Amino acid sequence: MGKFIIKRFIQMFITLYLVVTATFFLMHAIPGGPFTREKPLPPAVIAALEAKFKLDQPLYVQYFDYMKGVFTFDFGPSFQKVGVDVTDLILKGLPASAKVGGTAVVLVLIVGIPLGMISALKRNKWQDYVVTFIATLGVTIPSFVVATLIIYVFSAKLGVLPAFGLKTWKHYIGPVLALGGFSLAFVARLTRSSMLEVLQQDYIRTARAKGLSEFVVIGKHALKNALIPVVTYVGPMIASILTGSFVIEKIFAIPGMGKYFVESVGNRDYTVIIGVTVFYAAFYIIMVFLVDIIYCLIDPRIKLED
Amino acid sequence: MVNKWEKVPKEDLEKDKVLRKSLTYWEDAWRRLKHNKLSMLGLVTIILIFMTAVFGPMLSKFSYEDQNLDFGNVPPRLEIYKVTDNEYIYVHAEYKALLVNEKGELQSLLKPSKNDMAKGQRTYDVAGREVVLDFSNAKKAKKNPGIKKFEVLIDGTTVDSHKKIWNKTYIFGTDAHGRDMFVRVLFGARISLLVALMATIVNFFVGIVYGGVSGYLGGRADSLMMRFIDLISTIPLLLYVILLMVIIEPGLKTIIVAMGFTYWVRMARIVRGQALSIKEHEYVLAAKTIGASSSRIIMRHIIPNAMGPIIVSLTMMIPSAIFTESFLSFIGLGVSAPQASWGTLASDALGGLRTYPYQLLFPSLAISITMLAFNFLGDGLRDALDPRLRK
Repeated sequence: MGKFIIKRFIQMFITLYLVVTATFFLMHAIPGGPFTREKPLPPAVIAALEAKFKLDQPLYVQYFDYMKGVFTFDFGPSFQKVGVDVTDLILKGLPASAKVGGTAVVLVLIVGIPLGMISALKRNKWQDYVVTFIATLGVTIPSFVVATLIIYVFSAKLGVLPAFGLKTWKHYIGPVLALGGFSLAFVARLTRSSMLEVLQQDYIRTARAKGLSEFVVIGKHALKNALIPVVTYVGPMIASILTGSFVIEKIFAIPGMGKYFVESVGNRDYTVIIGVTVFYAAFYIIMVFLVDIIYCLIDPRIKLED
Repeated sequence: MVNKWEKVPKEDLEKDKVLRKSLTYWEDAWRRLKHNKLSMLGLVTIILIFMTAVFGPMLSKFSYEDQNLDFGNVPPRLEIYKVTDNEYIYVHAEYKALLVNEKGELQSLLKPSKNDMAKGQRTYDVAGREVVLDFSNAKKAKKNPGIKKFEVLIDGTTVDSHKKIWNKTYIFGTDAHGRDMFVRVLFGARISLLVALMATIVNFFVGIVYGGVSGYLGGRADSLMMRFIDLISTIPLLLYVILLMVIIEPGLKTIIVAMGFTYWVRMARIVRGQALSIKEHEYVLAAKTIGASSSRIIMRHIIPNAMGPIIVSLTMMIPSAIFTESFLSFIGLGVSAPQASWGTLASDALGGLRTYPYQLLFPSLAISITMLAFNFLGDGLRDALDPRLRK
């Protein structure tokens, strides 16, 4: 177990290192440089700007500087917003993003799994059809459509939900639903199919034959095993919620990281794009690492040495 | 005593004969698929979408870039007021009057003869009659839904709306620049389907070959190739695509290139898993013994036998490619104006959502229906092609 964790840990660092390197060199491969404007700036201004952002130094020096910066959580200054560090932007946006994203993850797990279970236990009854219908809709309707529909129906027409911002609990309903909708539907589908498979296993029949109550059979024997594929999905789910937040935060005007990211993509603020990408990637890699460990802990069939 | 050696009549022997031809794998799969109504609905929908995307824009009298600023933001459903038997007016949400005929064809934008913004009144001269558009209550109506936003007075008397008709000139309405939404949605379908097609091709040529080679070779080559894939997939693919799109110019070509770089990974994994088990079969051994080269074995034996799972995952990946394109277009990294994709159309509609919700409705419906169709087809194909589900 310890050996596996150490191995995965080293792997995680190698990946992170490669991601930072790749993004750094991609950023420097952009033709034109960050100070190219429609109206060319005087050469002296460009030289001064390059000296200020240390762009006049050789590439390898810049590379090591950037590397050092990343490990001390310093992504350098923004090229477009004067006097603002990328790290400041990330720290400013993180709380809002984390609150919405975290709520979405919790919602997905505490609603998605029970929905899938109900659907599996009431197979081919009306409950099953309702859940399957909702799940299919959730998987097929893109998050930005869900978000705009929520705004149109609940904010513009009915006026029951606020359209933007993040002040009261009511502000969370729209973004969380739009952000978690896809994952919720997917988790419900996944739970349903794996539950159906588990319910046909011999050990479920044995448990019933022993005279255990239905609650114990489902809760203790079936659910535990049915959740294994769901845990596997948690990694990709984090990815989908992370990337989903780009659009959701823009639509609901939530001052989170996703909004800054989309903004920086819009005005080609390269250091912000790279910084936020590296941050997202690091966050995602660490999350997947944690999920991997949890996965190994709950499923004894997986050989840890492998 | 029963005669054990009784002669069996000829008809009884005939009964046991297998009359029907035995089905091949694909015939059997097709037979199953046909029984799945939802999947067939999905298949038919996909074919219909393809047909309308290819031929639809040819039938329309507008092209996706034709602008008519006079007819900007005209919805598909018009509430008209009768002036004379042939002349009706439609009051636009921006308090302009459009001349319409009874069938619902837009004629022209009327020029006011008097434009009194302070009183909130515009006066028009239609066929010799004086039409006054009074929108002085518009501000109050925003707060109080009971008040009418505007009134139409013809020759001094208030008239009620004659009836609601469908817009015959622009059946899906127009966008802010007066471009036909119908043609633009169809044009968006072309882009989405092009992306889907390219994703399929990339998956086929890169993902399948990569996975097949990796799985067939095994050993060190396999683990090296798989580490590379692990590396690519440790980051959400969308992040890569966005990064690539920022670095190379946004546009349809770049979306395809960026997705080509990244979207074959899942397919490669699936094919590798298949190849690992298929290569242990006897027919692969037989091919080896008669001296077939590795590339021949991969191309002729391994990949064709992994086709079931490949097709199933392809139908699942196509909607994800379409979704990615619309997502990128939505955040402004997709095709640039005047071209349109479903993502840019939805994104453009966002600003005027309260007043012109129809602009969001049609592209969203198009995306959702397409995704739904591919999902249904994929589900059905999985049931039809997966040998483990056979009874």
